[in-house]
Amino acid sequence: MNKGTVSIIAIAVVVVAAWMWNESRYYDAPATPALTVVDADGNAVGEYRPPLARDMLAEENADSIIYGMRLLNETARLLPDNVGNGLNCNSCHMAQGKRPLGAPYINTINDYPKFMGRPQAVLNIQERINGCFRRSMNGTPIDESSEEMQAMVDYMDWLRGDVEKGHRVDIKNMEYFKVAEYTPDPVRGEEIYVQQCAACHGANGEGMKDQFGDFIFPALWGDESFNLGAGMARMSRASPFVLHNMPIGVGLDAPLGQITLSKQDAVDVSAYFTVKPRPDFPDKIYDWPGVPKPADFRSH
Amino acid sequence: MNKAIKVTIVGAAALLVAAVGIAKSVPYWFAPKMDNPPTVNIHDPELIAKGEYYARVADCVACHTAPGGKPFAGGLGMQTPLGAIYSTNITPDPETGIGNYSYADFERAVRRGVRPDNVSLYPAMPSVSYMIAKDDEIEAMYAYFMSAVEPVRQDNQASTIPWPANMRWPLAWWQLIFAQPREFAEDPTLTAQQNHGAYLVEGLAHCGACHTPRGIGFQEKSLSNRDSEQFLAGSVLEGWYAKSLRNEGVGLAIWSEDEIVEFLRTGRTHHTAAFGSMSDVVEKSTQYFTDEDLQAIASFLKTLQPRSGYAVDWQPNDDTTTAKLRSGNITEPGEIIYIQECATCHRLDGKGAPRVFPALAGNSIVFAEDPSSLIQVTLAGAKMADTKYDMMAFTMPGFYHLSNQDLADVLNFIRTGWGNHGSTISTRDIARMRRVVDHAPEHYVPQAAIREGAHHE
Repeated sequence: MNKGTVSIIAIAVVVVAAWMWNESRYYDAPATPALTVVDADGNAVGEYRPPLARDMLAEENADSIIYGMRLLNETARLLPDNVGNGLNCNSCHMAQGKRPLGAPYINTINDYPKFMGRPQAVLNIQERINGCFRRSMNGTPIDESSEEMQAMVDYMDWLRGDVEKGHRVDIKNMEYFKVAEYTPDPVRGEEIYVQQCAACHGANGEGMKDQFGDFIFPALWGDESFNLGAGMARMSRASPFVLHNMPIGVGLDAPLGQITLSKQDAVDVSAYFTVKPRPDFPDKIYDWPGVPKPADFRSH
Repeated sequence: MNKAIKVTIVGAAALLVAAVGIAKSVPYWFAPKMDNPPTVNIHDPELIAKGEYYARVADCVACHTAPGGKPFAGGLGMQTPLGAIYSTNITPDPETGIGNYSYADFERAVRRGVRPDNVSLYPAMPSVSYMIAKDDEIEAMYAYFMSAVEPVRQDNQASTIPWPANMRWPLAWWQLIFAQPREFAEDPTLTAQQNHGAYLVEGLAHCGACHTPRGIGFQEKSLSNRDSEQFLAGSVLEGWYAKSLRNEGVGLAIWSEDEIVEFLRTGRTHHTAAFGSMSDVVEKSTQYFTDEDLQAIASFLKTLQPRSGYAVDWQPNDDTTTAKLRSGNITEPGEIIYIQECATCHRLDGKGAPRVFPALAGNSIVFAEDPSSLIQVTLAGAKMADTKYDMMAFTMPGFYHLSNQDLADVLNFIRTGWGNHGSTISTRDIARMRRVVDHAPEHYVPQAAIREGAHHE
């Protein structure tokens, strides 16, 4: 063979090999983008990626974590004595507590104990969870030393990954904004509700239930919904929640296909559903003791 | 150079010249313009209205409109193994569209797939189906396109297929082999209604373009149920598996006629929803069908016998999954991934939420023999058809960020959960579909058209 033939064969081999390599490249998911971990002064000290679901099974306390996950998902069914309506923790805490701006649990373990304005006191995580039981779930507290409480805490602790106490993942739990700067229009809010909420939450806010009578989509008002003492009954809390989290299943982005509404839309629709009839919370009179109550405090 | 090589080269060259020459002549004698074309009154409002309906049935708009582009102005990219081709401008703009088409030009393009300049269209144009449409239907469509479609000045986009594969003359050979003239023949064993359904399915509605498997020449293996049981037996196009529509276990056996009608009209039923290309079909075409046409189609589809070797029926296994997930006996990666990523919408009982989130239990696309659609919808997400029958069109978000192993585990879980029994899919299958998603064609929409056409979104 002369040199020309050899070079032609060599070039052909290289081209075919390159083509085969390109064809056989193993396509897999891109690396998960990391969130920044910051210290108390806001300096970046590391990275956070949510732990993989499959890794939960290998944890030493896997049983408790899984139980906690289930309790957060199916609170009404699993704790009927403590949940007074039909809601679950994850009715509000989106995507298994993993979604920034969707009331995530990612920093919960590291954020508590924490001073809260409403009781004017430092609450530990157990007390905070029981606040939800009494208000959002219109029920009764669970025993702070119970297996159930420990399980929920264990799930949140698992979700924290290896972020140390004193540090936190640099995300916001909600995008709080100055709701008072927007003039709520409940009539327009009703139009938005009919067009973008009622398909799931029902024409009368009654929610939608599955074959077992458990909520697929929670009731937004009425006896089976959250009470007057819940954050969600207040404009300053409902509006930022709706802003980034509702409706689900209308966009193409994981986890839940949520879109971002305009702040005016969020305010209008919140002005419509928050004031609908809902259970009272008699203990509301003890909220914000000794300090002025916020403008959106619900006395009725 | 010895004599044998010389003869071979000269012979090959002669063959090539002959092949090109014959191909160039094909449109003139195989698919010529019709003699004595009828005079079509393109201003007849009744004819225009009929034409609009037939154009809906033929779903011209779906392929001839790019996402965000103006209706019928073309630019929709379609992936072929060799590159992307783009649909053309079929608005009546005289320079960039079909404004200068005579009726005979129009009829020939629609039925025979040949342009007025005697160049063959790509078989993406389903002329083999449109061929059997009645003359009065083609005439009505011509009146509609010429008089009622808004002309849009938008140049056609060249394909990305490289030379020499982008040469068009081989398409004439394709037409000679695979697009022989044919007419609709009624099946005497079917009712009049079912024959009407067959006429629509085989013809203007061109269901086979996606649902009939294609052969080595990209031809539909069968154009009618009389030809072979391959008709509507399921096929993959652009990574979407258009499932078998035959009355068999992996096809429509578990669908009632009423469900088929409801699905075609609204894009969903209480337990499933159209997605991918079918969502487009419902949104732009079948939601506008008359009740009579939908009933006829459903009735006809239910007459399609199962392919030989395929189960007539589909029976679910016992559902042990719902109880296992509700009792918290979570042991497998697929189960925990399902709970964390899927169960909020599709639920522990796999039943979803009626008309909002499709059920996975007993959903024929979930356990379809070809998992392409299931994998693609999971990777890339999809949108339901937006119709006048439901207030909201919901989406499935894409889970592209989950690893191939996670996706294989969770999809195998749902393919075998709640009594489903589907074949096992591998991480290789996920990788293959990830590649399809990565290489989805881009559409061609001039910036000006996007701005002006935004309200059509």
